[in-house]
Amino acid sequence: MTHAVKYHPGIPLLEQYVEGTLEADVALAVSAHIDLCPHCQQLCLDLSAEQGLMLEKSAPAAELNVSDMDEMLAEILAHTQLDTGQVSSQPEGPVQVHLKGKTFTVPRALARLVEQQTKWTQLGSIANAKLPAGDKRHVSLLYIDKDTAIPQHTHKGLEITLVLSGRIVDEQGSYGVGDILINTPDDTHTPRTLPDEDCLCLSVLSAPLQFNKGITRLLNPLQHLFY
Amino acid sequence: MLNLASTQRHDGTTTVQREPGMSTNDENAPEIRTGQWEDALSFVAVHQDKAAYSELFSYFAPRLKAFGMKMFGNEQQALEMVQDTMLNVWRKARLFDPSRGCASTWIFTIARNVRFDMLRKKQSRKDDISADDLWYDGNYPEQEDSGSHQWDTVLMTEKLAPHFDRLPEAQRLVMVKVYLEEKSHQEVSDELAIPLGTVKSRIRLALDRLREALDDTRS
Ligand SMILES: [Zn+2]
Repeated sequence: MTHAVKYHPGIPLLEQYVEGTLEADVALAVSAHIDLCPHCQQLCLDLSAEQGLMLEKSAPAAELNVSDMDEMLAEILAHTQLDTGQVSSQPEGPVQVHLKGKTFTVPRALARLVEQQTKWTQLGSIANAKLPAGDKRHVSLLYIDKDTAIPQHTHKGLEITLVLSGRIVDEQGSYGVGDILINTPDDTHTPRTLPDEDCLCLSVLSAPLQFNKGITRLLNPLQHLFY
Repeated sequence: MLNLASTQRHDGTTTVQREPGMSTNDENAPEIRTGQWEDALSFVAVHQDKAAYSELFSYFAPRLKAFGMKMFGNEQQALEMVQDTMLNVWRKARLFDPSRGCASTWIFTIARNVRFDMLRKKQSRKDDISADDLWYDGNYPEQEDSGSHQWDTVLMTEKLAPHFDRLPEAQRLVMVKVYLEEKSHQEVSDELAIPLGTVKSRIRLALDRLREALDDTRS
């Protein structure tokens, strides 16, 4: 494969994303991944085409009130055609965040939310900005300065991390821009940045992280950054 | 890693549910001429053609209602979704670009977005994720057709055989014809009476599933 992104969401996840049945905040992480990943862009076009075909070949509703439908049609046709351009709540052009004297461009999927709110909370070499999205899961931008380890932790719920800039490594691999990591409560990992490269991620969490090494209990205040 | 992502919904269950809808000889489906809906949409776009629109409406509205009933389980909401979707089809017909895909795909995405925003509104969330955030309504830069050839040799290996059988039926059928019967994409398109683009997209989807089965970067 020619593109640089190595870690993608699985096809079942992409499928639910295309159907619109995925939890919104998980879908947001998937959508931002797609913005960064030509491979998944193509897959999603293909999956959408399959959904379209399914709609086209599907059976019409069993119960249809003909006069209701005629009324609906008449009402629609009474509208004059107006839309010539895109009506979208999306900001024009790329949206950037500024932190520690650096500028990062965020993917399209996050642009509107980031524009609404990016208040950074900093603790040492880690900073976090919660995005106004979701309530069951926490959606935030996470900045990790170079040469920093995040204390080993497990997750009570699902943890999705999407690398937006720089690189992060853990026991299982090395993740660059566009790579998505999905960790379940069973996974334990110690993500860290490299000595010479910081990292900006999108993080989606379903529950507070639990740190499981004695020494890192001291760092428990970190938890509010993640949660 | 990614365990949950790939096990959240088992492929088997989705495949079983989908296949009836995807079969090409569905008894419920009236004859559809290739390009019929795309043509109708362009008439609507260019001439505000009410007859062409009515044709689209009488075909898609009842199917969207069935889709809405499945999603909402409630007739009133299902009808609201149909109306919003079909109104968008009327008003935004000029934004439909046949080079980007079929009319049915475009209508499906509108319905999906309408449904998503309806659900979010019902939960009265403010400042929250909208369909506009999740689904890009534009063109990503064109991609080169990447990498199906490099899989040809791998596909022949026995290791892949069991995964082959687990592909969704529509994809498996195309793969069997292309890779085992060595037919051209055009031949498969003619034989199965599906557009050439659908043959290509099913191959891409199938290759990715097989890749996923062999490769741990996704699972
Ligand atoms: Zn991808």
